[in-house]
Amino acid sequence: MIKFDRFTLDNGLRVIVHRDETTPMAAVNIAYNIGAKDENPERTGFAHLFEHLMFGGSVNIPNYDEPLQLVGGDNNAWTNNDITNYYLTVPKENLETAFWLESDRMLSLDFNEKSLEVQKNVVIEEFKQRYFNQPYGDVWLHLRPLAYQKHPYQWPTIGKSIDHIEKANLQNVKDFFFKHYAPNNAVLVVTGNIETEEVKRLAEKWFGPIEKRDITPRDLAVEPEQTEFRSLHIERNVPYDAIYMAFHMGKRTDSDFYTVDLVSDVLSNGQSSRIFQALIKEKNLFTSIDAYLSGDYEPGLFFVNGKLAEGVSLEEAEAAIWEELEKMKTERVSEYELQKVKNKVESTLVFSEISYLNKAMNLASHEILGNANEINKEVEQYRAVDINDILQASQKLFRKENCSTLYYHAKK
Amino acid sequence: MNRKLAPEFKTIDKIDLIPSKEILLSNQIPVHIINGGSQDVVKIEFIFEAGVCQQNQALIASTCNSMLNEGTSNLSAAEIAEKMDYYGAYIGFATGRHDASICLYTLNKHLKATLSVTEDVIKNSTFPEKEFQTILQNKKQKHYIDHQKTEILAREKFNEFIYGKDHPYSNLVATEDYEKVNIELLKEFYLKFYTPNRCKIIVAGKVEQETIDLLEQLFGEKNWPTQKETNDSTHKLHVFDQKKTFILKEDAVQASIRLGRPMVNKLHKDYSKIQVLNFILGGYFGSRLMQNIREDKGYTYGINSVLVSYRNAGHFCIVTEVGADVCKDAIKEIYSEIKRIREELVPTEELKLVKNYIIGDLLRNLDSPFSLSDGLKNNLNYNMTNDFYKQFIEDIKAITSEDIKAMAEKYLMNDDLYLIVCGPEKSREAIL
Repeated sequence: MIKFDRFTLDNGLRVIVHRDETTPMAAVNIAYNIGAKDENPERTGFAHLFEHLMFGGSVNIPNYDEPLQLVGGDNNAWTNNDITNYYLTVPKENLETAFWLESDRMLSLDFNEKSLEVQKNVVIEEFKQRYFNQPYGDVWLHLRPLAYQKHPYQWPTIGKSIDHIEKANLQNVKDFFFKHYAPNNAVLVVTGNIETEEVKRLAEKWFGPIEKRDITPRDLAVEPEQTEFRSLHIERNVPYDAIYMAFHMGKRTDSDFYTVDLVSDVLSNGQSSRIFQALIKEKNLFTSIDAYLSGDYEPGLFFVNGKLAEGVSLEEAEAAIWEELEKMKTERVSEYELQKVKNKVESTLVFSEISYLNKAMNLASHEILGNANEINKEVEQYRAVDINDILQASQKLFRKENCSTLYYHAKK
Repeated sequence: MNRKLAPEFKTIDKIDLIPSKEILLSNQIPVHIINGGSQDVVKIEFIFEAGVCQQNQALIASTCNSMLNEGTSNLSAAEIAEKMDYYGAYIGFATGRHDASICLYTLNKHLKATLSVTEDVIKNSTFPEKEFQTILQNKKQKHYIDHQKTEILAREKFNEFIYGKDHPYSNLVATEDYEKVNIELLKEFYLKFYTPNRCKIIVAGKVEQETIDLLEQLFGEKNWPTQKETNDSTHKLHVFDQKKTFILKEDAVQASIRLGRPMVNKLHKDYSKIQVLNFILGGYFGSRLMQNIREDKGYTYGINSVLVSYRNAGHFCIVTEVGADVCKDAIKEIYSEIKRIREELVPTEELKLVKNYIIGDLLRNLDSPFSLSDGLKNNLNYNMTNDFYKQFIEDIKAITSEDIKAMAEKYLMNDDLYLIVCGPEKSREAIL
């Protein structure tokens, strides 16, 4: 249970405060409701590139990092397909520095050519480091467009290709900022050893004067229902074959999200899970395998990915995965097995509440989704899932015509 | 309101850590207790002197450690996994240079059940053949995949140059080593090194008297008598004369760079000063290397320097991945930053910022019983407790710009630095 206070400023900024007295620190997390899905298909990777530019100095403060480091703070940010999230931690005594810095870059940036040129290069190196200089690194560049034909989830956050990043110019940057970065398109969460009254005072003082901006409502392309099996074969210089399967599922706020999450847990959460035991330990078909969901805000994907053991063929490996998925569709899980995955989820939630920063991020993403208080209903939602739910969700999910499979061949 | 003006702030000059308390079980096993936190959970780590330094051939210590979870005289591997998962507990295994550990994370309400399984794993492991073959195969495949990565290839060569090919601190594994491991060797290692005399325990989280009683009951003299002491072998460092090398990885699109040298460890009087020097150069996002090579030139996604301390040695290393075509320029810039810190005094403002950042970093990283237990595990390696951090902060506060320059002159002369580059052909010129 995470207790929190909430209030909204006149400019529409939603503020959430959670007190955790066990730390001498405070976390400030700002989530902007803008992600890679909001990008122009010809200019992908922009939301993430923009995240880098948020550290290039704001309208009144030439350097973001230095003043924060001077007061013992640290920060970072991440972008995904749905949101862009900025977070920092400071000794609680220095909370105001965080408000000063974050409010100024919400007010406006110091748009400059130098920062744009440098960060384009940095992001291109990030692209290379994560996607091309790692074995199996380019999977997402191929699997996403296979699974999505219309919806913007078809490209990864980093973008479709390096030349999209090279094309970005300063006008794009300015337009993007004023279109998406605004108090009424963000959620501010403060957690740690702090008082709500103090946060209220600081929020009014620093964020209050920022004006509301016009945010165009989202109008995303809808992904048509998949009606036939899709596949793609690629060959790379890697030591072993691998298989990546993606099934369409619902969105994060759908009522069956928790059921599908437990389906993935039955399959692969922990060493006693089904595919770990059957496919790695008993049959020795894979050296690693995982089933998990994307957790996307829009209708997302359920993945089953594995690296094959030496000497095993892709056909054999694929058939073995399908055999496990078929079992989920035809046989009821036992009371015991369902209880086990529920216990594990509950335990994970308890452990996740140790970190004040973790709590800040989770509160922010739930609030962007609709309501931060949903975070406290999760345990109940998981508990309510029954054996029939698991069976039905599996039947809906694991159909051949709902599946896209990437066969990743090792070059012999 | 003037937005150009930074709000006032407070410099943190000391930190209050949850203290650890040490007690002894009846068989003299030390138990370090760190009691605190908001959640009703506990982390119990069993640390044995059974690391890479104790093994006589590659892979034995780490394979032995992973195999503990693969079957006991009471439970099969599947049954162990089933129980741990059912209670929502997590059991982790890790092998270090001087130790190997078994770490249990559990809800307190299931402590009794999960700790009994942990006891079984520690005392009654049987090393079944089928599980062994699977673990070994998986390790081997992971090894092959890792060795496709330029950063791994560069790291291993660097370690080989500064510690020697066979030294446990390099911890190098060759593909043929996988053929040489067998169950008999693992069992022998297990019996010799996973003993009460080689064990210490750290308990962190909400710790009750019941927790301690349970530890005594399961791991005390009555159920786990002390055994005859064994001696550890000693290892000689073998530093290379050659200081630069290039490793070709034809299909790579970036080059991995490692530039560094052997360095004194945590026990040395210069350590705090070198740590500040390290931060200024490459230890945080505002560091000179990050600001120059990433934020000004855009050559890389990231560049860091690290100070690694082991019980009997250590090293300093600058690590980055850069575009193959800018590799030579990046290395030139790294050397110029090293030269600058050797020849020019660090400005007072920068030194102040770094000191504040380091202390803030400690405050942030040592704020929970779990993170304090990680710190304690490391400090116990040197027969120190977390009091180390208090002294460290006092040392940091006293450091001057002159100290930093003196450290750079003493430890960062170009002739003493080792340079490894791993990348495609066009990055080869970088080491010439």
